[in-house]
Amino acid sequence: MIFGLRIGPLVAAVLVFLAAIAAVVEPARALERNFAGSAQLDYHFVPTTKDAKAFPRAFDGFTMEFAGKLAVDFSEKVSANMKVCYGCHGFEADMMYFDIRIADELNFRVGRFSPSFGAFNLRHDPANHRLSDKPLPYDMGRMLRMRQWNMSVLPSPFPDNGIEINGSRFIGQSVQLDYAVYGVTGFKADARPLDVDFKLSRSPVTYYVDNNGRPTVGGRAALTYSLGDSSDVTLGASGMFGTYDPENRETYLIFGGDLSMRFDRTNIRVEYLARRTTFDTSDRTVFKYVVADDRGDFFMKHGAYAEIEQALTSELDLIGRVDGMYRVGNIEAASELARRSSVIRYTVGTAYAIERGLRLKFSTELWDFSDREIVSGRRVDLGMHAALAGSF
Amino acid sequence: MTARPTARFVDLARALRVVAGALVITACSGARTEGLDANKLPEDVRADYDIFARRCSKCHSLARPLTSGITDDQQWVMYVNRMRRQPGSGISYEDQERILRFLRYYAADLRQKEAERKGAPPPPAPAVVPLDASAPPASAVFPEPATRGDGG
Repeated sequence: MIFGLRIGPLVAAVLVFLAAIAAVVEPARALERNFAGSAQLDYHFVPTTKDAKAFPRAFDGFTMEFAGKLAVDFSEKVSANMKVCYGCHGFEADMMYFDIRIADELNFRVGRFSPSFGAFNLRHDPANHRLSDKPLPYDMGRMLRMRQWNMSVLPSPFPDNGIEINGSRFIGQSVQLDYAVYGVTGFKADARPLDVDFKLSRSPVTYYVDNNGRPTVGGRAALTYSLGDSSDVTLGASGMFGTYDPENRETYLIFGGDLSMRFDRTNIRVEYLARRTTFDTSDRTVFKYVVADDRGDFFMKHGAYAEIEQALTSELDLIGRVDGMYRVGNIEAASELARRSSVIRYTVGTAYAIERGLRLKFSTELWDFSDREIVSGRRVDLGMHAALAGSF
Repeated sequence: MTARPTARFVDLARALRVVAGALVITACSGARTEGLDANKLPEDVRADYDIFARRCSKCHSLARPLTSGITDDQQWVMYVNRMRRQPGSGISYEDQERILRFLRYYAADLRQKEAERKGAPPPPAPAVVPLDASAPPASAVFPEPATRGDGG
C-alpha cells in the first residue's frame, strides 16, 4: 500500500505491458506507410424550419468533413495510425495510437482512438456509410433540435486518450470472436452537472486531460459467423462506465447490442444503445419537474436504428432507415422536452457511384417529435440531404 | 431575417436541376463501379477478386485499396493482416490468402503499367503463393494475363 492505494495490480499491469513490448522487439526493417483519406460535402435542406437561420436547431446548409489517415507498419507486430479530421469543430485528432501486437488475440492499443463500442463506430467515416448522416443514437450534430436533446446517446466518433486491449480469434473458417477492454479519459462536465457536456469533452479550454482523474472503463465482445462467401452475421454487445464531473459524483453507463447481417448484396443492421446518466440534484429549482427522493437523480436516453442497404445495380444503392431516441427522466426547467420525450426519423436514400471512390448521396428524412417546437408549434419536420463523398 | 418555405422550395428546385444535370452528364460519360469489372479479369483471378470485393467492402469502399497505389507485395501482406484483425472483418486465414493472391496480381499489373508508362522493360510476372502445398504452382494458377484488369 502506498498513499492508501493497492499498487499490486498496477505493478502487474506495467510488468505485463513491458514484457509485451520486449516480446515484440524485432530487428528494424523498412517502414511501410500507407496514406488514405476521405471527404464529404453535404447540403442539408430543412424546408419546414420557420427561421432560415435555423442554427442551432439544425445544421441547415453546407457541412464539410474531410480526413487524412497515415498508417505505418514498423514490423509485423508494431504499427501506428494517425488520423486528422476537419469538420464542424475544425481540425481534430481522431487517431494517434500505437498497436503493439503479441498475437492476433492480444493487442495493446495505446494513445488516442475511438474505444470499441457498437457496430457503427467502425463505419463512422462518411465515405464508409451510404447515407449522409449517422444513425440518431450516434449523431454528432446533424439532428434537428440537437441542443434540446443534447445530441445523441453516444456521438460518433468519440476519440479519447487511453489504452485498449483487444483481440480477434477465428474458430475454424466460419466463426470470428472479437473482444476489447479499455480505460480512457471519458466524458466531461463542470461541477454539479445535469448532463454530459460534449463540448467540454472535446474542448482545449480545460486542456486535453481528464477532469477527474478517474478513467472510464468499458468493453465489447462480438461474434461473426460466416454463412458462405457472400453472407455473414455479426452479433455484438458493448458497455462503458465512468464518472464525468470533477468530483466523481455523477456517473454514466452506456450499454448496447448490435446485429449486422449481410446476405449477398443486402445489408441489414439493427443496433440499440442506452445511456443512464446521473445528475446533481442539490438545487432542485433548476428542474422542470419535482425531483423524486427515490431514484430521481438520473435519466435514461435510449436510441436505436434499423437500416437496410440494397445494391440495385453495381453503381446504385437504395437505403432505408428508421431510427429514434427516447428520453425518460427529469430535465432542466427551460427545456422543450418533457419527462418522456421521443423522436423517430424515417429515411429513404440513394448512393450513386459516379467514379471509383466517389459517390453522390441523396436522402429524405421525415422527423416525428413527441414535443412541439416552441416557436412554430410543429411536431413533424422534413429534411433533405445531397452530398458528394469520396475516399482514396 | 426569415424566408418563406415556398421561397426555400424554389431554391431547392434550382439546386436539384443542377444536380440532375450533373447526373445526366455523368451517366452519359459512362459511370464506373466502385470495384473492378470482373469480366475484364483473367478467369483464374475472378474467384479471388470476388472474395476481395465481398470481404473488403463490408467496412469501406473498394476504392480504398484499389487506389492506394501500393505495388509492394510485402506491404499488401501487412495491410491485409491489419484488416483481417479488424473486429467483425470476417476475413479468415483462407480468405486472406485468396485476397492476397488477387492483390499480388493487381500490384503486378500496376507495376507493369507503370513500367510501360516509363518505357522500361516490364517487371517479372507476379509471384503467387499457393493456398497449400497440394495447390498447383503459381505459374499454373496465374499465367501472364491476356486481358489486363481495370487497374485504375
